[in-house]
Amino acid sequence: MGKTKKVVVVSDAFLLTAGIENLILELSGMLVDHVFDGSEKRLSEKIISKKPEFVIIDPECIKEILIPILRELSEESDIIVIGIVTKVTSQNIVSRFSHTLDKENNKFQLIECLQKIVGNQSDPLEDNEPTISKRETEILQNLALGLTNQEVADKLFLSVHTVMTHRKKITRKLGIKSISGLTVYALLNNIVDIREVERSV
Amino acid sequence: MLLEKQMKLADVIHHDYNLVPVINRFGIVLGFGDGSIESICNNKNIDIDFFLTILNAFHDPQLLDKEFLQSFSARLLIDYLRKTHNYYLAHKIPEIECLIVEMASESSDKKRSYELLQKFFEEYKNELIKHIDREETRVYPYVIELEEAIQNNSVSESLILRSNEYSITSYEEEHDNVEEKLTDLKNIIIKYLPPSKNQKNRFKLLKELTVLEKDLVDHARIEDLILVPKVELLEKSLTNN
Ligand SMILES: [Fe+2]
Ligand SMILES: [Fe+2]
Repeated sequence: MGKTKKVVVVSDAFLLTAGIENLILELSGMLVDHVFDGSEKRLSEKIISKKPEFVIIDPECIKEILIPILRELSEESDIIVIGIVTKVTSQNIVSRFSHTLDKENNKFQLIECLQKIVGNQSDPLEDNEPTISKRETEILQNLALGLTNQEVADKLFLSVHTVMTHRKKITRKLGIKSISGLTVYALLNNIVDIREVERSV
Repeated sequence: MLLEKQMKLADVIHHDYNLVPVINRFGIVLGFGDGSIESICNNKNIDIDFFLTILNAFHDPQLLDKEFLQSFSARLLIDYLRKTHNYYLAHKIPEIECLIVEMASESSDKKRSYELLQKFFEEYKNELIKHIDREETRVYPYVIELEEAIQNNSVSESLILRSNEYSITSYEEEHDNVEEKLTDLKNIIIKYLPPSKNQKNRFKLLKELTVLEKDLVDHARIEDLILVPKVELLEKSLTNN
């Protein structure tokens, strides 16, 4: 089995959520990481921070904010958004999802459908251990030395945006988000030297 | 499994022993006998509905009964939250600290790695203490004052002023940071710490961190999903008065 794939379910209807969870458990290597708990504040940010490969949304539960959320999710190129639809869901909504699951389908149909969606996605990280690139190592090194995103950008002649993108990738590969956590990683792997870090603090 | 008042508390703990620290917060310690939840609560003067709701939410996050929990007084909620803070600061954090120190002292070749871990945890601890301190000295007293003022119909100008100043919503972000660092730490231990022969302490450490993480998530959820909306309601009734 390759890497576990994370699914975030956005629904406040318990029966539906439990059903989806049950369905996902049928597929190997899938993990339901988080279930929407009713707080709509910064919902898309919350979803993204879970770093899911897939997001399954019940459009019914977030009616008013569905469109902005889908827009924000679509900016994350790595996330595949799946909508729960029925015969009566308006075409306008159905067309906004890259994939859909039909609420009225039976379990076999749903599994098949889900497998297709999951299998379609080719993940370069799939089997081999994620290693960080030369550039990323360089950026990690500077971050560990206490430089801010802006300072790293200036030093390496990059835009802040590029530095942030690299940082996101580093976090994704390593599973470490905080600067102090990244520093520990850099020290453990001799990407920086403890004396350098201490000097810079 | 939905926990109900006629169940024996001992059976509940057999079913989910992670609830032990939760019942401790209500003053129930192991050796509590063979009584039902109801009888034990009655003996200890514990609000049984509140106790059960908290227990169920911890046992199965999907059983969090938001509306019902919000109906309890802020004082009761805060009392529970404060006891939870105490469990972190007086027990869990020192336990984990001790464990890391022990690991560092036992190993000569991996000493450096453990010292890094220790430093990271120290930083994490200070962040957590700061967060908790802000809640206990500013947020909670304000909420209790707010509730009392509304109950007694004695809303002062200064309270209204303060209600405009505070932003209860900045809360959630800090919770995310606290959880994030713990995840980082777990990942470092699981994936990146150079392997050593003494797996026993590492396993213990991982377990303690996982227990703390679950507890913190539950705690933050009560603050974000119960306390904050409750305060927002109170504030609304303040401006309506
Ligand atoms: Fe708290
Ligand atoms: Fe908190």
